[in-house]
Amino acid sequence: MYNLLRFFIRYHLFILFVALEAFCFFLIYRNGKYQKAAYISVANGISGKVYDVYKGGADYFYLRRYSDSLVEENAYLRSQLLESKFDNRVDSGMVSDTSKRFVQTYTYITARVIRNSVNRSTNLIYLDKGRRHGITPQMGVIAPNGIVGQVIDATDDYAAVMSVLSKDFKVSARFKKNEYFGNLHWNGLSSTTAILEEIPKHVPVKEGDTVVTSGYSQMFPRNIMIGVVKKIKSHPDKTFLDVTVALSTDFGNISYVYVAKNLRKQELQQLDSLTKTTNND
Amino acid sequence: MINQIPVNLLRFILLLLAQVLVLSNMNFSSFVNPYVFPLFILLLPFETPRWLLMIIGLFAGLTLDIFLGSTGMHAAACLAVGYLRPFLISVITPKGTEFEISPNIHSQGVAWFVFYTGITMLFYLTFYFLLEAATFFNFFLLLVKIVFSTLMSVAFMLIFLFLFSARKKRRFV
Repeated sequence: MYNLLRFFIRYHLFILFVALEAFCFFLIYRNGKYQKAAYISVANGISGKVYDVYKGGADYFYLRRYSDSLVEENAYLRSQLLESKFDNRVDSGMVSDTSKRFVQTYTYITARVIRNSVNRSTNLIYLDKGRRHGITPQMGVIAPNGIVGQVIDATDDYAAVMSVLSKDFKVSARFKKNEYFGNLHWNGLSSTTAILEEIPKHVPVKEGDTVVTSGYSQMFPRNIMIGVVKKIKSHPDKTFLDVTVALSTDFGNISYVYVAKNLRKQELQQLDSLTKTTNND
Repeated sequence: MINQIPVNLLRFILLLLAQVLVLSNMNFSSFVNPYVFPLFILLLPFETPRWLLMIIGLFAGLTLDIFLGSTGMHAAACLAVGYLRPFLISVITPKGTEFEISPNIHSQGVAWFVFYTGITMLFYLTFYFLLEAATFFNFFLLLVKIVFSTLMSVAFMLIFLFLFSARKKRRFV
């Protein structure tokens, strides 16, 4: 007993050190995959405020650039309007009920980026809108030039987005010119490229091909720009190609984003659970 | 001794803001990721007991974690720096050196500080990047990241030290 006591007295500092380190590791590994999510709910409230105030001041220096990019995007969107298009149908005699032809699937919530990083292994982007504005986890986030990431957590006023530049981020992507699709993820090396996986070797791909979202994940609408093929490698001992994609979003320079809200997600989830139960039976 | 508290508190806030709003916002490249914040622990008074160094390190790290969204990783690294600091000081300081209350670049000298911050940051960043890398473990990338980030961290720490260290007036004996 005395020896045990002596041991504790002699090594009390080391024991304290180990105990505190254990506490830190508990914090780090508590939440498994998204280590951060739960903690951020508390943290965002405080740090979100600080970043918000700071960004509010810093934003004035970039007003010109912001408005330029917004004008550019408006011009593009105008070109997409039905009024800007010529109806090229030959059988124009056929009457179709246009009011029922298109059903709104995605709506967009605009948000401002108040914090951003590109040099860590999980890069989080904080937005200045949260649950009060309708943002919930699992929503896709896009910028004018391409996809940005996925919402992982939201407080009342702020949201945390895991950007494409994160080790846990995955999105279903396809080539624009054909329907071949695969998984896109980041390899941690550069903030401008990502890897497209699971593309079979027989697929005709060449450098410069456009990669867009497949729309399978319900997170992003179909055909949202991701990037262009930068490099293709074919290993003889692998069944799939190694496709490096140059991302179209400039992650070092995102100021305003759109959070995509899928209005028909619930219906699809219902279908999902239905098929699951029938498969189990 | 008592007036050490406001000085250190002010330094804590300054370093936290410099880290969070400036350095971590600059996004140099994926290889350069400098940290000046650990300087706060390095500049605590020499006579701070080791257990207090650890506790202060833990809470300082947690504060940084809150701002950078990296649950517990900086806390773990800052805590380790707090634990190892007395040992490091005793190793790099020549015997018979006279100490002021806390480490000061004007009394300890630049060379001493380069060693002090260099070794600490090498350890800190190795610890932190290993924790952060978790899944994609790329040895070469990790090594380059640690070396470049350490160099940049030390450079920024020296800038901070030269900007904010008070030169003590020499007393006539």
